[in-house]
Amino acid sequence: MRLNDGFEASASALTAQRLRMDVIASNIANAETTRGRYVNGRWVPYARKMVVLEPVQKSFSNLLHSKLSGGKVRTAGVKVARIVEDSTPPRLVYNPTHPDADENGYVRLPNVDILKEMVDMLSATRSYEANVTALNASKAMFTKALEIGRQS
Amino acid sequence: MNVLGGSETALLRTAISAAEVRQQVIADNIANVDTPGFKRSEVLFEELLAEQLGKRTESKLELRRTHARHIPAGRGAGVVRPRIVMDETTRMNNNDNNVDIDREMALLAKNQLRYNAMIQQLNHKISMLRIGIEGR
Repeated sequence: MRLNDGFEASASALTAQRLRMDVIASNIANAETTRGRYVNGRWVPYARKMVVLEPVQKSFSNLLHSKLSGGKVRTAGVKVARIVEDSTPPRLVYNPTHPDADENGYVRLPNVDILKEMVDMLSATRSYEANVTALNASKAMFTKALEIGRQS
Repeated sequence: MNVLGGSETALLRTAISAAEVRQQVIADNIANVDTPGFKRSEVLFEELLAEQLGKRTESKLELRRTHARHIPAGRGAGVVRPRIVMDETTRMNNNDNNVDIDREMALLAKNQLRYNAMIQQLNHKISMLRIGIEGR
């Protein structure tokens, strides 16, 4: 059914935006984490994570239907393809008393920019809200369709 | 006898299913608002219908065809089907995405209202038929 595809698209986006929000929360929580990973006898700070979104390809039956009706193959929703790490270098802060400071007294802090994370968070929230609205619209239409032929 | 088989009902049915397709397409556009490189799609139906109806203003009735290869004449609005087109010429964002969320939300509201209106019209038609059948 076609309206169900609308539900699926919106639901997949809600999942994706929520995962994006989780990743942002992890970044903010670890903004000062100097011991992210232990590599070659040395602590490496936490690296900022980002989600990669990509459109979901349709299922086989949907593909077949759209091909048979001569339409273009379209997508149905969105998914998080993978979570990647930001490769920008860590922030260097001079603090010789820190236990993870190097021989010159510099501490390597994560490459997390709180401002960037906050902006991303707002964007994710708004996208989530937009998808909730779309989902509610689909729901209202579905309910309306059930009223066809009902005696008032 | 087919009570609801009139051309008006057929047209309404096509229009309702076009609104459903459009709802799906808009939901997909909104879902992919943050996807890099995504291009928005839209449903063409009203334009195609207007084109189809505008072409044949002189003859209001559809000719009956007894053979599939006869040339159709008259209205024949039932053959108009919604078409999904992808807008690949524009860019809205630095990541090649061209979904304008404000526009999509407006289209969503518009589509919903139009859908409700069409359902109401169909309901009205059914209740008129009911009056005709029951005689009160």
